[in-house]
Amino acid sequence: MSIVTVQLGQCGNQIGFEVFDALLSDSHSSQGLCSKRENEAYQASCKERFFSEEENGVPIARAVLVDMEPKVINQTLSKAAQSGQWKYGQHACFCQKQGSGNNWAYGYSVHGPRHEESIMSLIRKEVEKCDSFSGFFIIMSMAGGTGSGLGAFVTQNLQDQYPNSLKMNHIIWPYGTGEVIVQNYNSILTLSHLYRSSDALLVHENDAVHKICAKLMNIKQISFSDINQVLAHQLGSVFQPTYSAESSFHYRRNPLGDLMEHLVPHPEFKMLSVRNIPHMSENSLAYSTFTWAGLLKHLRQMLISNAKMEEGIDWHVRPPLSGLPPLGKMSLNKDLHFNTSVANLVILRGKDVQSADVEGFKDPALYTSWLKPVNAFNVWKTQRAFSKYEKSAVLVSNSQFLVKPLDTIVGKAWNMFASKAYIHQYTKFGIEEEDFLDSFTSLEQVVASYCNL
Amino acid sequence: MGRRRQRVDPAAGARAGALPEAIAALSRSLPSGPSPEIFRRAKFDRPEATSALWQLLFRVLSPLPVGNALASLALEAQAHLVKSALCSQGYPRLALAQLPEDGSQGSRELLLALSWLLARGPVPEQMLAQARVPLGDEMTVCQCEALASPGPPAPHMEAEGPVDVRRVQWLMGKLQFRWRQLVSSQQEQCALLSKIHLYTRGCHSDQSLGHLSVTEAEMLRDPEGGQQLLQTLERENQRLEAVLAWRHTELVFWRWMDTVLGTCAPEVPAAASQPTFLPWVPERGGGELELVVRELQALEEELREAVERRRAAWEAKAGGCGRGPEWSAARRASREAVEKELGALQQCWKQDSGPARPHGPHRLVRREDGAAGERDLRAAEVIRTLRSQEACLEAVLRRLQGQCRQELARLVGALPGLIWIPPPGR
Repeated sequence: MSIVTVQLGQCGNQIGFEVFDALLSDSHSSQGLCSKRENEAYQASCKERFFSEEENGVPIARAVLVDMEPKVINQTLSKAAQSGQWKYGQHACFCQKQGSGNNWAYGYSVHGPRHEESIMSLIRKEVEKCDSFSGFFIIMSMAGGTGSGLGAFVTQNLQDQYPNSLKMNHIIWPYGTGEVIVQNYNSILTLSHLYRSSDALLVHENDAVHKICAKLMNIKQISFSDINQVLAHQLGSVFQPTYSAESSFHYRRNPLGDLMEHLVPHPEFKMLSVRNIPHMSENSLAYSTFTWAGLLKHLRQMLISNAKMEEGIDWHVRPPLSGLPPLGKMSLNKDLHFNTSVANLVILRGKDVQSADVEGFKDPALYTSWLKPVNAFNVWKTQRAFSKYEKSAVLVSNSQFLVKPLDTIVGKAWNMFASKAYIHQYTKFGIEEEDFLDSFTSLEQVVASYCNL
Repeated sequence: MGRRRQRVDPAAGARAGALPEAIAALSRSLPSGPSPEIFRRAKFDRPEATSALWQLLFRVLSPLPVGNALASLALEAQAHLVKSALCSQGYPRLALAQLPEDGSQGSRELLLALSWLLARGPVPEQMLAQARVPLGDEMTVCQCEALASPGPPAPHMEAEGPVDVRRVQWLMGKLQFRWRQLVSSQQEQCALLSKIHLYTRGCHSDQSLGHLSVTEAEMLRDPEGGQQLLQTLERENQRLEAVLAWRHTELVFWRWMDTVLGTCAPEVPAAASQPTFLPWVPERGGGELELVVRELQALEEELREAVERRRAAWEAKAGGCGRGPEWSAARRASREAVEKELGALQQCWKQDSGPARPHGPHRLVRREDGAAGERDLRAAEVIRTLRSQEACLEAVLRRLQGQCRQELARLVGALPGLIWIPPPGR
């Protein structure tokens, strides 16, 4: 079943391009370590999901590009066309001539309603092209102006017009020391709105990805393109085709639906994060070998100790011994040690994947008391290797990973709000203090729910 | 026990071998019907005929076409279900309820039960309808089937200790995701059906249909599958012919059943009298009905008063209101809205007593506008009906949700020192 991607703002469009590029290059890769027939099935599945066919055979990404200024969209379109492998649809983009000045309220209350018709009509056309439509993948930043405010508005609209379709928002968490003064306001408004209208929020933190680029990839001058490529790699390893069951021979038809059913059925727990292993530069890759046991051990410890990447993992963190009560209610004042999960999904790709042992993830101590590991943990295995990695594992986790960052942002936003700093920029366009208070309430509720796991 | 009264056909009864023929026709017309020999043994209450008859009764009484799951039920389970199904239909003979469920005895009672069912309704025809092979793409336009067949009984699960409400929310969420995926799949199916119908225009030999259905297209694509379909249709034909033969010869069977009944010991007088097996009404049913009646009367009073008050207020306010195009346009719009709502309400109300609403499966045929025949059902009309039903149900849902909210507020108000923050609505 097909997924329609909505790329919003500068962030969304740049990342979207990298994602489609990564998906298609991987599907054309000759190092799949599997039979030709297998490879063809993989390619067909990937294509059906993310691309549509045109007469001359060049796949067209199932995407709608939206931005308030033309520069980034034009760059994105031309980069795609230059690759020669794929492209965006000719009429799949919407842009205006003006920016929105990082003003969430302007994006939500002005741009949104003004351009609602045009944007929704583009999306509708893209959906109609799908024979079988699974849902939306909306890429946006949380703290910018266009991406965030407009993104919240568009997601709400999608909720109204497509109530039965799935919606996953891919959100970029801003740098802690970001440049935009009101980024915390934008963030809390975006998150609280999305929590109501979206089904799942898949979060990537800029800080974390930046560290991956620096430490694991050894990149000296890190550009947005590097960061986006790391992101795309992680997303690709989640969304590329996987088998539907241990012994089945068909690729899973509805990965978005299956993923959501496993991870986010509870309305209070919608925040997902991604961890993958291994991740390194191509040069290092040629000289490395891995075992599943090693990879999974590291991945499990990354989950438990809240590590963002495979380096610098804190091996002292242990799950609470079974039988003993969990280490008190998690307090945000002291350093969080053990990361309790609601649900986890591990996707394994590559050589000898059937022999990979994931028992470590089925430990009940990893999970909250009201879900047994048999319900909370799922593993998808596929023989076909991903993007030149002989073995790769990715973890999509609904756990306490994001509690601390969320709480930090809420705290900072509250401090600013207490002194009413910059509020007039929002009230000018219809976002009242009431709305801020509502947002604070919702997010406090989310933090509390996660803390009480 | 009643039996069909038909014009006596002397020739039929006189022919030797007429009885085995009739019974053979009957058993051919039923799914996995037992041989005439079983019937004969059952008349003499032979134990070896019992299990075959239990199974036949189970097939006849199952609400759904028997799939693998039901067919593999043990004999005891099947017998038990048969007993409860017969009881709920009002079967008068007590001896059946007392039969052992292991298939060791009672074949004559079972034979009597079978003939009771055959006398009450067109059983072979009903079973044929259940198992028919649809050649077209079909869908049902009413909810009857869904409501009448509750499905196999769900396993009864005990909760072990107090259940965390979060787990329940989790499960609800999963259910909702499955539901949405079902809707998506149905939409996909509709889109593909539409394509097939569009692409195969003009391919069908039957002009009134005009295009192929999925089954028909599949037949063309896969000749081997087409052969299998043909064989299934031939088997269905054979059963149809058996049903016709049965209808011709059944009088012989009924005469024979009279003799079977004669060989039974006379039942307790209660059963011999008119079989009035009242459906079991729960004891508190009467009280509830009274309550409902009173509530309805109170509601009617309330509504009447409310209408009066509203009318008076409106008169006072709008007595000399302006004329002009805006005003009349607004009036027209509001009148239309009211008519639509009224229509929806009336539709709901007249659901049971309205003109014959279509039942059962209908074949989907794509046609040019206005080309529909008299007996055809237009999709637009069906959609209209369904939409008004949906509006009714949504109104009921909203009302119930409002009641829930009020109840919650009342409960919360009773607890001192508790602040209730409702979830943010939109």
